[in-house]
Amino acid sequence: MKYLLMIYGSQEKWESMPAEAWPDAIARHEAFNAKYRETGELLGAYGLADAVNAKLVRRADGLPAVTDGPYLETKEYLASFWLVDCENEERALQIAADMPFADVDPVEVWPILHESAAE
Amino acid sequence: MEENLGTLLRELAPQVLGVLVRRYGQFDACEDATQEAMLQALTQWPADGMPASPRAWLITAASRRLIDQARSEQARRRREFDLAAGAAASAAEEDVPAVDDSLALLFLCCHPVLSGPSQIALTLRAVGGLTTAQIAAAFLVPEATMAQRISRAKAAIASSGARFVMPEPADRDARLTMVLHILYLIFNEGYAATAGPDLTAPRLSAEAIRLARWLRRLLPGDCEVAGLLALMLLTDARRAARAAPDGRLVPLDEQDRAAWDRDLIAEGVALISETLPKGHVGPYQLQAAIAAVHDEAPTMDATDWPQILGLYDLLDRIAPSPLVTLNRAVALAMVAGPAAGLEALGQLAADPRLATYHRLLATRAHLLEMSGDAAAAAAGYRDAARRTTSLPERRYLTDRAHRLSGKESSPPM
Repeated sequence: MKYLLMIYGSQEKWESMPAEAWPDAIARHEAFNAKYRETGELLGAYGLADAVNAKLVRRADGLPAVTDGPYLETKEYLASFWLVDCENEERALQIAADMPFADVDPVEVWPILHESAAE
Repeated sequence: MEENLGTLLRELAPQVLGVLVRRYGQFDACEDATQEAMLQALTQWPADGMPASPRAWLITAASRRLIDQARSEQARRRREFDLAAGAAASAAEEDVPAVDDSLALLFLCCHPVLSGPSQIALTLRAVGGLTTAQIAAAFLVPEATMAQRISRAKAAIASSGARFVMPEPADRDARLTMVLHILYLIFNEGYAATAGPDLTAPRLSAEAIRLARWLRRLLPGDCEVAGLLALMLLTDARRAARAAPDGRLVPLDEQDRAAWDRDLIAEGVALISETLPKGHVGPYQLQAAIAAVHDEAPTMDATDWPQILGLYDLLDRIAPSPLVTLNRAVALAMVAGPAAGLEALGQLAADPRLATYHRLLATRAHLLEMSGDAAAAAAGYRDAARRTTSLPERRYLTDRAHRLSGKESSPPM
């Protein structure tokens, strides 16, 4: 079964983190990624740019109409996501609980319902 | 020609690997060498013609690969392979029947130190002879991920000290049960396709049937092996009717029974009919017997439901599970009415771990529909649709809810 693991964040949250804390945070995430890549369960890990970079695209009269900002207005936005393929939900929750900052911020776990083959 | 050659090579793969592992140990390296020898054969045989003994050719080719690899490793790391001892042992190897090698290999790939996905991946590669790329494609994961899973599984086997021998008699039954479970998971992965819009990924269900046939040749006297093969055949027989051309799931009562595969049904029925009287009844045989009753019925209503209920009663006694309780409740409803079926579900629903199980919700909705409570059934189908993680199932359940909502708004009779 495949699952999407997501963590949320905000500009405020990133700003409250001292600069010297970043290398350690990144190293811990890299170690987490390496660990689950090695088990053959992590398919990919992605971090998103800040919400101010998000664009909203519609099509109007056959042409793209682009505006600023995320669709949903919330305090926190999707910050990073991981795609894992593991034995069952129990295992997905175990992996989520092993995330470096799961003790500080929650990790959202969604089962994947459908996917298209890459080929 | 190429397809026939591929099939032949894949039949030979476990035999070749079995001989190599017994000669040289080092399951991991032997497995790689066997795959490389198969690739070599795939290009060389069509050009040079078939060797007199394909099996001997493959063993020689794979051994050479191993020796080459050992030499380069020696040069690099000054480590030695026990190839000399292996060669000496080969004189005596004809004493070991090929059957034992193949079985030992299957038991090793389904070793309990491995997780389910690893057991499946390793079995498909080492026993099934599929390439890593093929396995990755079947499970929709990147090839690198599948390669990692397979190499990790091999490393886990090496570090666990698991040996390439038949399990001790005391463990044998439990280990065989695990092997059968893995083959059944492979079959279901192909039949129900846990991910993706297609209900059938024929390659994996066909591969599971091929492996089950092969296992039956190795263990012709084992009733559960025969039961598992019969169950696969009798289930696969309905594959063409199970999904509409647009991918929609078609329930048993709406399936076009003329589209069921009569040859598979005949083979499955014959197999289960000769197996059951032997008296070593197990869960796969009972499930196969139930599938046979369905397959032989001309319509849903003409199905021998009392017999199906009796078989579920037995199954519930020897291998109880929530899924058995659900299916038994449906059979009970067909025999004694929906109220009896709903009552049988009561206990499951009281278990908080199962209260949101989508199959329980869907089964209860089905029984409510039978009892004429369209509103409650529609709500139940909708609830089940939200809980399932299969896209075709969600479509089916949502559609069911829609149909009933239509009825709901019509004036009461």
